[in-house]
Amino acid sequence: MFLPHSIEADHKDLIHDVSFDFHGRRMATCSSDQSIKVWDKSESGHWHCTASWKTHSGSVWHVTWAHPEFGQVLASCSVDRTAAVWEEVVGESNDKLRGQSHWVKRKTLLDSRTSVTDVKFAPKHMGLMLATCSADGILRIYEAPDVMNLSQWSLQHEIPCKLSCSCISWNPSISPAHYPMIAVGSNDSSRKAMTKFQIFEYNENTKKYSKAEILMTVTDPVHDIAFAPNLGRSFHILAIATKDVRIFTLKPVRKELTSSGGPTKLEIHMVAQFANHNSQVWRVSWNITGTMLASAGDDGCVRLWKANYMDNWKCAGILNGKGSPVNGSSQLGNSNPSLSSNTPNLQNSLHGSSAGRKHS
Amino acid sequence: MEKMSRVTTALSGSALTGRTMHCHLDAPANAISVCRDAAQVVVAGRSIFKIYAIEEEQFVEKLNLRVGRKPSLNLSCADVVWHQMDENLLATAATNGVVVTWNLGRPSRNKQDQLFTEHKRTVNKVCFHPTEAHVLLSGSQDGFMKCFDLRRKDSVSTFSGQSESVRDVQFSIRDYFTFASTFENGNVQLWDIRRPDRCERMFTAHNGPVFCCDWHPEDRGWLATGGRDKMVKVWDMTTHRAKEMHCVQTIASVARVKWRPECRHHLATCSMMVDHNIYVWDVRRPFVPAAMFEEHRDVTTGIAWRHPHDPSFLLSGSKDSTLCQHLFRDASQPVERANPEGLCYGLFGDLAFAAKESLVAAESGRKPYMGDRRHPIFFKRKLDPAEPFSGLASSALSVFETESGGGSMSWFVDTAERYALAGRPLAELCDHNAKVARELGRNQVAQTWTMLRIIYCSPGLVSSANLNHSVGKGSSCGLPLMNSFNLKDMGPGLGSETRLDRSKGDTRSDTALLDSSATLITNEDNEETEGSDVPADYLLGDVEGEEDELYPLDTEHVHPEEPEYVLPQEAFPLRHEIVDTPSGPEHLQDKADSPHVSGNEADTASLAPVDSSSSLLSVSHALYDSRLPPDFFSVLVRDMLHFYAEQGDVQMAVSVLIVLGERVRKDIDEQTQEHWYTSYIDLLQRFCLWNVSNEVVKLSTSRAVSCLNQASTTLHVNCSHCKRPMSSRGWVCDRCHRCASMCAVCHHVVKGLFVWCQGCSHGGHLQHIMKWLEGSSHCPAGCGHLCEYS
Repeated sequence: MFLPHSIEADHKDLIHDVSFDFHGRRMATCSSDQSIKVWDKSESGHWHCTASWKTHSGSVWHVTWAHPEFGQVLASCSVDRTAAVWEEVVGESNDKLRGQSHWVKRKTLLDSRTSVTDVKFAPKHMGLMLATCSADGILRIYEAPDVMNLSQWSLQHEIPCKLSCSCISWNPSISPAHYPMIAVGSNDSSRKAMTKFQIFEYNENTKKYSKAEILMTVTDPVHDIAFAPNLGRSFHILAIATKDVRIFTLKPVRKELTSSGGPTKLEIHMVAQFANHNSQVWRVSWNITGTMLASAGDDGCVRLWKANYMDNWKCAGILNGKGSPVNGSSQLGNSNPSLSSNTPNLQNSLHGSSAGRKHS
Repeated sequence: MEKMSRVTTALSGSALTGRTMHCHLDAPANAISVCRDAAQVVVAGRSIFKIYAIEEEQFVEKLNLRVGRKPSLNLSCADVVWHQMDENLLATAATNGVVVTWNLGRPSRNKQDQLFTEHKRTVNKVCFHPTEAHVLLSGSQDGFMKCFDLRRKDSVSTFSGQSESVRDVQFSIRDYFTFASTFENGNVQLWDIRRPDRCERMFTAHNGPVFCCDWHPEDRGWLATGGRDKMVKVWDMTTHRAKEMHCVQTIASVARVKWRPECRHHLATCSMMVDHNIYVWDVRRPFVPAAMFEEHRDVTTGIAWRHPHDPSFLLSGSKDSTLCQHLFRDASQPVERANPEGLCYGLFGDLAFAAKESLVAAESGRKPYMGDRRHPIFFKRKLDPAEPFSGLASSALSVFETESGGGSMSWFVDTAERYALAGRPLAELCDHNAKVARELGRNQVAQTWTMLRIIYCSPGLVSSANLNHSVGKGSSCGLPLMNSFNLKDMGPGLGSETRLDRSKGDTRSDTALLDSSATLITNEDNEETEGSDVPADYLLGDVEGEEDELYPLDTEHVHPEEPEYVLPQEAFPLRHEIVDTPSGPEHLQDKADSPHVSGNEADTASLAPVDSSSSLLSVSHALYDSRLPPDFFSVLVRDMLHFYAEQGDVQMAVSVLIVLGERVRKDIDEQTQEHWYTSYIDLLQRFCLWNVSNEVVKLSTSRAVSCLNQASTTLHVNCSHCKRPMSSRGWVCDRCHRCASMCAVCHHVVKGLFVWCQGCSHGGHLQHIMKWLEGSSHCPAGCGHLCEYS
């Protein structure tokens, strides 16, 4: 089903993040070796490194693409307490002849006093905005008032989260009914009882982000958090990577019922929980339609999760790091409907299904 | 254990014990130094000079050396050092340029011994000779280094660096006569103490000031230097030219560097600004610190390993007026907290995955990275067993690409491109779209289109042949639909599964009946979901059979709860209810239910190949006989659209919305429609389907959407002849009165698509220019400009 292409990344230390651009034709990687590499897909489908440059003076945790409407723009964040905005410049130098592109730092965001652990561009309809979170537990939201001038960013919001933050995710919904919303995860292992994931929602009246009411608590360190692409749904789907994979649905309670001033109430249900990685889960990523979730854990495997029509989430495949055929990937083939090779998954999906039914 | 025994022997029988602890000082510390017995530490600063005893649980103040009513500037210490051979001997460097020695053995309260007032400016560093009891070295801001013999009143020799201020001086541990000095201009000098006239060697080590250096305690000739350029470099001084062996990049300027005892590759650093932490680095892994101490709240100014043979105790003084003892095992390890994996879903369902080699290697048996080749062989020869090196971590990056057809999103692109949304009669649009969906193997979607056609087109237009045609095609690959609906014609083999499947659905509707308001939705779910393996499945091209495997298992849970339930008797009475009570306004429940069932019936009929034509005709006939207006189905259609949207198939929702137009629009609130439109347009743009996206914008009735294309775009164009901005008068230049829209390749006036270079204003026919630029990167007009076409 999946054709693995191993890429000689040539990063000198761990790669911490991989990110596709809006059109899926470019890829950026960042590493502890303080550099970012940009990869372009050639006609033949191979990935070529077209830029590699030193970005920070410490491990680069995340790299993320802006919407192409704002140009070819990347943002990165690092343990060196900064986040940076980069823009590709098209020049007439011989770089182009060598198939190399040139990236220029447009802005260094220096507000954090500790490691900046994540950086994400806001959905396009909100304009050119950027959120960062840092190890001292502050969520910052920046805006470039002039989209043509990437060197000007103003700090719009500084939101204390009380806990060391590890990851953020914007709610990508374009619906006018949904206010801007951002989820923050924390990997703080010291304060055990506190919830490690929070959601902040923008309030039109106060012009501020305030904590949305959530009943659900996640007390294990959260490593990654991802809203699924909304695509016209009336509710939101959120995946969390902690000691297991969890999938939540967030249903905004209808406006008329809540008091107009306060934050929208969210009805939140956990629709699935999978411990199949048997270890810490580091990453979750949604496909473009928000129907498939991929997760990566300390077991070195990527697992794919999918809901069937009953909203039962179940394992749809396992890929090991090298993409070599694992027992699980045979499940993907149309010819082999047998699930016997992977009974634990099945049981889990049933478990998930019962959870789903309880809430429906 | 081995490590422990080594430490013990090194400490001559008494291993150090203690815990991570700190004590408050009265004033910020500038430097600390440890006594040879590892039991006392001296802290010096601008207004502090104290000796503390390091006890098991705490620091205890032993002696305040700052005596006298009016403290002189001589007591304002920039540096302090405790002699490593004489427990009573200390030296301090004062900010006024004085070097003071202290004798703790003096009986009086004032322990001051000697005073050397030879430097003109702040003395930055003092250093005792490691083996010679009376030799003291100082380095000052005035650019001179002086060597003192403590038995004499003044300096023995003066070394002039001939460059800027001296920041650090350090006697070599192995070479009796050698010392190193570092300078503010980035230089490092090596001196022979017997030859004050000129340095043995000088090289530029850093960009900007070199704040500190430290000789390796074991490896002769290894010098670590740290500078404002945030780097720590390790130099091999044994070779003819100083050779850079390692380079560690920290996040702030390096103020102090100290090799860790017993760990050949480890060194501790602290910073002068911004960063308050102390890091311990393995120089072989120059990017990620091996350990980190985060106790201090302000800049750390002095660090010292407590005992020259014990790697686990580190002492530090800070501007935050605290003295700390750090235990290595309590350090935080950034490596452990760093995320070892990256994962991203691509647009076409491909996955990019980067993972730490060791995580992946275990499974695939691939050889891990063989280490850094920059290491010289001799350095690798004996690896300290007490210091297991995890290896240079590296990640494996791979992209899992979906095979074309199966799991990719090509269905989305194909569907978007081939759907007909307007410009033809409704029936044709529905048929066309159903055909497209069917050809792409999306049977449920195809079925929906067919049903829409039946619902909204008058029966006269439905040619049975046409319908049969599409139906026949559908049923050939419509297994999941068939087994969910057509109970009557089910073969015995499939029957059991289907029954269970069906009963599961009914369980839900049964419970739902209790709550009449929810019934409709539940039923709707019921109806649609039964075939809905399809939209959820193409992404991976998952197996229907796999789903089927699930049913028996699933229903084993369900079945016992509803043992008395008998299936076939439910659907049919209801069906008749429709006919009997076609429009009973008081029976909301029934009304809601009945179209649903009739929809099912239509489905059943059209899906069953056995009696397709006859039953289909009879059903549609029955429907129209009962004079059900299309409005009757609007609730159903509305819910169907919502269903598709919630399933993530916004394409279907928008396409139906456009095709049906007014027929269904009024049932869906404006905001939801806009949400669907914008989501779909965003998705189309992701796939670069600009034409489709434009069409959708044009066809949309939502005001917010249709104005997307009405934002004005202004093009500023220069005349290609005179290079002046063109007026608004079209393609004729005001100044040179020539037509500007000439093709630079064929020299004809361009009508239609005109492409031009923003750099030189030359352009022409799109095809011509594209062709030209394939062969040459220069402008076809010959102006010499390197045009770019992208």
